[in-house]
Amino acid sequence: MTGEKRKSRRLRVLLSAAVVLLSLGFLQRLLSPKYSTELIEGGLIREYYGEEKDHDLIFIGDCEVYENFSPKVLWEEYGINSYIRGSAQQLIWQSYYLLEDTLRYETPDAVVFNVLAMQYNEPQREAYNRMTLEGMRWSGSKVRSILASMTEEEHFLDYVFPLLRYHSRWSQLKAEDAAYLLKTRPVSHNGYTMRLDVRPAENVPEGRILPDYRFGDRAWSYLEKIRLLCQEKGVELVLVKAPSLYPYWYPQWEEQIEDYARENGLLYLNFLEMGEETGIDYSRDTYDAGLHLNLYGAEKLSRCFGRILQEQLGLEDRRGEAALAARWQEKCAAYEADKQAWLASLSEENA
Amino acid sequence: MKKTSLSKTLALLLAVLALLSLAACGGSGEKVIQREAPAESAGPDAALTSENAREETAGAGFVFIHQGVRVDMDAEASAIVAALGEPSSYFEAASCVFEGLDKMYTYGGFELDTYPTDGKDYVSAVIFRDDSVATPEGVMIGDSAEKLQQVYGDPSSTAENLVSYQAGNMELRFILADGVIASIEYLSLAAEGD
Repeated sequence: MTGEKRKSRRLRVLLSAAVVLLSLGFLQRLLSPKYSTELIEGGLIREYYGEEKDHDLIFIGDCEVYENFSPKVLWEEYGINSYIRGSAQQLIWQSYYLLEDTLRYETPDAVVFNVLAMQYNEPQREAYNRMTLEGMRWSGSKVRSILASMTEEEHFLDYVFPLLRYHSRWSQLKAEDAAYLLKTRPVSHNGYTMRLDVRPAENVPEGRILPDYRFGDRAWSYLEKIRLLCQEKGVELVLVKAPSLYPYWYPQWEEQIEDYARENGLLYLNFLEMGEETGIDYSRDTYDAGLHLNLYGAEKLSRCFGRILQEQLGLEDRRGEAALAARWQEKCAAYEADKQAWLASLSEENA
Repeated sequence: MKKTSLSKTLALLLAVLALLSLAACGGSGEKVIQREAPAESAGPDAALTSENAREETAGAGFVFIHQGVRVDMDAEASAIVAALGEPSSYFEAASCVFEGLDKMYTYGGFELDTYPTDGKDYVSAVIFRDDSVATPEGVMIGDSAEKLQQVYGDPSSTAENLVSYQAGNMELRFILADGVIASIEYLSLAAEGD
């Protein structure tokens, strides 16, 4: 074979490979959920990577953080630059690996972890796993998080090549899949998702009797890993229980967390017991009968929490930093626009 | 030699990718992320009167019967809820993300829970609240562990204070406290994964 023929053959092979790989890549992108207008919670984790990473405060946890705390209020009223790394039913080991991931980029002054996730000691549900894990950038933390999170039916390779998982989604493709094929849209305000509708909390059931009220070993081990990682990095760890009325927060659970916080010198705030301080009115400040707060509730809670953070942790007021203030000006405008859009849509519904 | 290796590597890579795709396509399960539909929906006929529940439900899972209304796990809930009458209390909980509501109807001595699938609600659990209700086999809250053993025999599994009987795609659980039944729960295993 002459040198030219060999060169030509090599080129053909390379071109063919490129075409196949590009086609597979395109198919993967097309068939994977976009989480931009539907199931937007699946888009929360990825958004962090587009941020300027000099936050003072990072929240980690499940819907009890991304629906209940407003970073915009923390900024506007206290000059605290915060971000929520939360996703739906985010399990404690997922929060730990997200914290690991976050600390690759920045070292905040404080990390806030919502303790409801202590109730889960085992992987739960693939759909939630995917919404948390797919948005993470590839790293050792992501690999370990996937391995810790997979249910028995899941396969690691499906996370590496999502096409393997979503190949049958072709029949469910919607306009969103075409519209956000190449670029997604913002779905949160520094990790916070906004709701303005109101649904009063009524008939909230008490918890069922449990055979065992002790948190599982795995949950404890990851809480300890979170604490040690924060300690190693010089980050203050704050534990919170958001004021969601359901799922039920058992007194036995409360006792275990209080003991842990006391033994380790951690600040722990159970906002369920701080109604007077937060001013939350469950007849107006929740959009789903007490499971999550609406914007009014989230802003009240954040106002109260910001005050505590400043008083007890001494977080610096950074509103005087020009570049940061300019970034927040844009963020606040987007927040306000989203709020107005919600109000307009609600008044349309009520008309 | 170098070129041959390159070609081989590329061929291998493509073959692996093709195989992976084929393997995925040839999978037995439809991999759509959504709630698993119940294996069998009892439909509107779920609310039936039964004189002898134990015989009727043998092999199909334990069934709760209240005032002649039969409540199978994973049965469509609308007819059952209608037959049970007005609940004393009602609560619904949306999941963090997915459409549909988990619903909780509280009656005299028990709670009936449902989960949504494809626009319909199915029974996910019956939880006893007090000793005003009993299982069709005659066991109620406050009974002893010995009575439980006599009536139901050897459990499928036990753990700490939990005695569990699995049948079909459901589980009948008894939670004990100080040797006495403190809670009785009929649970759908199809709904539990949610």
